[in-house]
Amino acid sequence: MTKQSLAALLLAATTAVAQESPFQFNGFVDTYHAVQTKHPHDFTTSRTRLRAELRVDYENAYLFTSLNGVHNSILEDRTGVQLQEAYFNYQNDFLEIRAGRQIVVWGVADGLRVTDLISPVDYTEFMSSDYDDMRMAVDGFRIKYPGERVNAEIVYVPVPRYFQMPMQEENPWRPELPEKASIDFPDGPDAKFKNGDFGTRVSFFLSNLDFSISALHTHNQSPVTVAGYDPVKDSIVIHGIHKTMTMIGGDMSMPLGEFVLRAEIAEYFGEALGYASNLDYARKNTFNALGGIDWYAGDNWTFMVQYLHKYIADYSHNLAAEKNSSEMTFRISKELLNNTLKLSLYGMFDIDNLAYYARVSGDYSVTDQVMLSLGYDHFGGKRGQLAGYDKNREIWAKAKYYF
Amino acid sequence: MNMKFAKTAATIIVALSAMVSAETLTGRDIVQKVHDRPDGDTRSSELSMTLINKSGAKRERKITSFAMDVGKDTKQIMFFRYPNDVKGTGFLTVDYDDINKDDDKWLYLPAMKKTRRISGKSSKTDYFMGSDFTYDDVGQRNIDEDTHKLLREEKVDGIDCWVVESVPKKGDEIFSKKISWIRKDCLIAAKVEYYDKLGKLHRSLKVENVVQVDGFWSIAKMSMENVQTNHKTLLEFGDIKFNIPLDAKTFTVPRLERGL
Repeated sequence: MTKQSLAALLLAATTAVAQESPFQFNGFVDTYHAVQTKHPHDFTTSRTRLRAELRVDYENAYLFTSLNGVHNSILEDRTGVQLQEAYFNYQNDFLEIRAGRQIVVWGVADGLRVTDLISPVDYTEFMSSDYDDMRMAVDGFRIKYPGERVNAEIVYVPVPRYFQMPMQEENPWRPELPEKASIDFPDGPDAKFKNGDFGTRVSFFLSNLDFSISALHTHNQSPVTVAGYDPVKDSIVIHGIHKTMTMIGGDMSMPLGEFVLRAEIAEYFGEALGYASNLDYARKNTFNALGGIDWYAGDNWTFMVQYLHKYIADYSHNLAAEKNSSEMTFRISKELLNNTLKLSLYGMFDIDNLAYYARVSGDYSVTDQVMLSLGYDHFGGKRGQLAGYDKNREIWAKAKYYF
Repeated sequence: MNMKFAKTAATIIVALSAMVSAETLTGRDIVQKVHDRPDGDTRSSELSMTLINKSGAKRERKITSFAMDVGKDTKQIMFFRYPNDVKGTGFLTVDYDDINKDDDKWLYLPAMKKTRRISGKSSKTDYFMGSDFTYDDVGQRNIDEDTHKLLREEKVDGIDCWVVESVPKKGDEIFSKKISWIRKDCLIAAKVEYYDKLGKLHRSLKVENVVQVDGFWSIAKMSMENVQTNHKTLLEFGDIKFNIPLDAKTFTVPRLERGL
């Protein structure tokens, strides 16, 4: 047997084992660095991450684990190994059960939240991660009926998690706080049965229309801030308030020629809202509606625009939020060079505060495994969080290697 | 469909096709024959797509595909297996025979954990996964979207072919016309030339290997070259199966999200 034929045989055997193996191991390494374009030109984000994913299949079931090993040069408490997802999944023709740490995504909105209230968002580095990387997994159970035209699911999260906010003192994305003020933001409620999130969603997939109805007992995952006084430290303490609320809503997605129309509506019953004084909060019913249009213009051009509106019922003028508030997002993208180069422009407008965030970026696939990205983030406007980030206008670069 | 019957039927259809003289056939008749070529009620294959740029650099895509005919319509579901940045991505399509009805399309993105409804109309003219094939090329283009004309008969690599010119009825296509050399023996194109809006040759398809599986003729290997950019895509079909047991639940959004 020649060396070449032996090598070919070994290669074939290895391939056969790999194909039949119940183990699938994948992941990526990425490194992302952003620097302010204004003086003092500090780094706003600098991190390198290893994502390792392992899936083990056995008949109708599998185990999935996803780990992040992160080195963060700016936020030391983010350096380490983090369990992204770890769940057990069983499925047959009539049932799918998933138990463990998992990301649950509802709705049809792109980066905005109306009915998609189960998995929180990690805003520690604002939006310097891709939106899918910012979603936080929750420890819970999901049971799904996978029908031909109807899909129904029940979700239970015993110990919900809240948004992670940029509150570390060294974090360039930390909002400005009063001098000597300290922060008291909980990661989630106490581990009690009554504090669990639970909900259901029924989805229909029809020839010219997809729609869902959903109901969820949850918490306001984004903290309402209320200031207090800490006599021990003799300082102001800003507490993050999270209260239970109930969401009833729905979403739809409808193709119309080159366009796809998307919409979500939801009523939040008993949503916690802070007062302008930051000294207390109120519970109100709010109506939330989103409309979006995607235009698949051909020649690899895509245009997307979304409008989100919030209305507070039984409005009190003491509230920090306006009775009607709204924001818009848009995305334009074009793929070139046989889809190896993608140019994108993303924008977010906080209409009430006349503030905005815009990101222009280019992603280039050097090979099937290596992706390089370069971009610029611009913040501006009159007031609000986005306007406050104008010091963090930044240029950034990312490299990603898939294995 | 009974396999033995299908094989016999396919043989008879091909034999009859050869017997019918060209004078009695129109371009549309020939394209209709190609469309009606027996391919089972269900089918599956493993696609391997190699993208080769003008400097010779290669990229690969691997896809598992299942399809089922429902009346005159076709449902298809595809799962991307390679490269790893798109692994787990799923694409579900319902191709409607009705020319006035846009196809239904859903795309599942595993990184987003989300299925998107996408336009069934415009994506037809976009290129599929960075290849030189459009979504229209890999799907089923409706016969009456084009006007067909039989130009002549000639041999390609010693095989008798009909040469048919097809001109889109609407102006929003990426080609102004295509010329197909359709093999008389198996009703599969031996080659196709696509011309751009200026009438210049844009892309050239060559079917390099045709096989018979369970009595059904099927393409095993073909290449599409963009002669204007010198970018080329090699498409190979492996593990081709016909009339496999698939039901309607294979072609659903929950199945798309579940993956292979």
